[in-house]
Amino acid sequence: MPLIEARGLTKVYRLGRVDVPALRGIDLEVHEGEYVAITGPSGSGKSTLMHILGCLDSPTSGSYRLDGRDVSGLRGRALAHVRNRKVGFVFQTFNLMPRMTTDENVALPLQYRGGISRRARLRRARALLERLGLGERIGHRPDELSGGELQRVAVARALIGEPAILLIDEPTGNLDSKAGAEVLKTFREVHDAGNTIVLVTHDPNVAAEAARTIRLVDGEVAA
Amino acid sequence: MSFLESLWVGLSEARRHLGQTLLSLVGLVLGTGSIVTVLALFGGQTKITQDFLAEVGGLGTVIVRDREQSEHPTARDLASDRLTYGDARYLKDRATTLAAVAPGWFDRLEYQVGAVHFTGPVIGTTRDYARINDIRPLAGRYLSDLDVRRKARVIVLGWKYADSLFLDPERALGELVKLRGKNYTVVGVMEREEFYFAVWSGNALEYRNERAYIPITTAFIQYTGDDEHLSFLTLKARSPTGARAAEAQVGTMLYLRHGVEDFDITPSGGGANSDADFFMLFNFIFLVVGVVSLVAGGVVIANILLASVVERVREFGTRMAIGATGFQIFAHVLAQVVVIAVLGGLIGLGLGTALTGTVAHFMKMPVAVTVVIAEVALGTSLGVGFVAGFYPALRAARLSPVEALRYG
Repeated sequence: MPLIEARGLTKVYRLGRVDVPALRGIDLEVHEGEYVAITGPSGSGKSTLMHILGCLDSPTSGSYRLDGRDVSGLRGRALAHVRNRKVGFVFQTFNLMPRMTTDENVALPLQYRGGISRRARLRRARALLERLGLGERIGHRPDELSGGELQRVAVARALIGEPAILLIDEPTGNLDSKAGAEVLKTFREVHDAGNTIVLVTHDPNVAAEAARTIRLVDGEVAA
Repeated sequence: MSFLESLWVGLSEARRHLGQTLLSLVGLVLGTGSIVTVLALFGGQTKITQDFLAEVGGLGTVIVRDREQSEHPTARDLASDRLTYGDARYLKDRATTLAAVAPGWFDRLEYQVGAVHFTGPVIGTTRDYARINDIRPLAGRYLSDLDVRRKARVIVLGWKYADSLFLDPERALGELVKLRGKNYTVVGVMEREEFYFAVWSGNALEYRNERAYIPITTAFIQYTGDDEHLSFLTLKARSPTGARAAEAQVGTMLYLRHGVEDFDITPSGGGANSDADFFMLFNFIFLVVGVVSLVAGGVVIANILLASVVERVREFGTRMAIGATGFQIFAHVLAQVVVIAVLGGLIGLGLGTALTGTVAHFMKMPVAVTVVIAEVALGTSLGVGFVAGFYPALRAARLSPVEALRYG
């Protein structure tokens, strides 16, 4: 059974009186342990597709099964729970909380999950940061870290909840080439550890890292 | 997330946004502080007023006076003798609700001692007057039942008169004082009566030191030609709480005697002192200032929070993306307000207590911040915080994650 199984996903945005279709019927399957890149030019619907795959948004029509459960009809609170347990997000701009330390940032998803003491959450966060080679950055604030380090903290935050999939948005968009290479190495290690990765990029070098590339054009999967 | 966890989050949020926190605190602290001060002063003022009432005879004292006669009196009005000494004796014998009855005759007469002349108030009354008004002689004695029965030419001087006429209250005893040409023997001098509403105000009871008392029967025979009409009638109920019952009974009995309601019955001390009224105004102004400060504080907090929500839209989007529910975002914003409100309330309470202490010290007023006042202050601060925080929190909670992430 595929981890991600999308059938005929559409998304229509309403701008004033005009309906703007962003997705025009996407069929997509991602199996456990895959490393998939979604590419395409600006406005091709990459971001919209990722938002739907990440349960930040619901499709206008079509079905979406994530880890065996149809989530296309979920809203609000239920969707928030799915995001918390099944999805790990890595944002292009990292989106770390600037006034929190690295370990507090990484532990944040567990706080929203509830039922885990603050002490236990921070212990898990520190262990994960050590595993990603950021041991000496524990207790630091984001503004004391380099771009590559920030990206890895963001990865750690996405992984802390042991999600079914890791969704990564333009991972090298805000990094120089050296840091970008480091980050891609991290993704490879994370993938090798058994995680499923879906990343969105328009950088062919990044897409080349993935085992499979899906190209979107005008809201449809290009053949 | 547990309640404690939320508070912890609120505390750390308040600490992280220190500038916002401090700004919000100022309004709350000032508001709570002035409300605490006002309530404490108000309580102190109430206590002073009660003390004053106790000093002038206490609760349960009732005063009866003639009602102003209308321009077109009825036959019944004209037939009534109005308030008389007979009424007083009747009430003293029959009114079961009364512990004491003191009839009063009042006039301003010419005093003469040696070569000194002046005009001053004289009260003709009975023994009960001292009891009802809780006044005691400093030297000698007060009027007795025998004085009244024998229509004796005796006089009891107020402290000030004794002091200025004879220099020493003791020395006044046995001396003669002329009232409109008639000689009276001084048999007593009253204690000096004092009451201060505040350090800057004068002795509110000084008028009681500047008068003299003679038996009411003597007053009638010497100055009214046996017209036994009373200027006032002072009554004391059997218990402080029995004033109402006493008023009702006295009203009925006098009505039956007069055949018309040509008298007014008022509880003692009602509207008797303008100083207290002045203080009430003072308190009211302070209270308004307090409420305005709190509202202003609330508006400031609401504004700051709204701005901070707008500023942190992306942050809330991120939090939602990693699993925060709308309710958790709501609680997150509100927790910050609650922490600020509690903190502001506590500091304001401290400020108010200090201010009250200062006022109490300089005005020599019996004021105190009670538990109830503290509760009211904290409750108000918390209430303002909730109201101010609700809308910003709701706005943050209702953000769409996708739009929030795209923001800015």
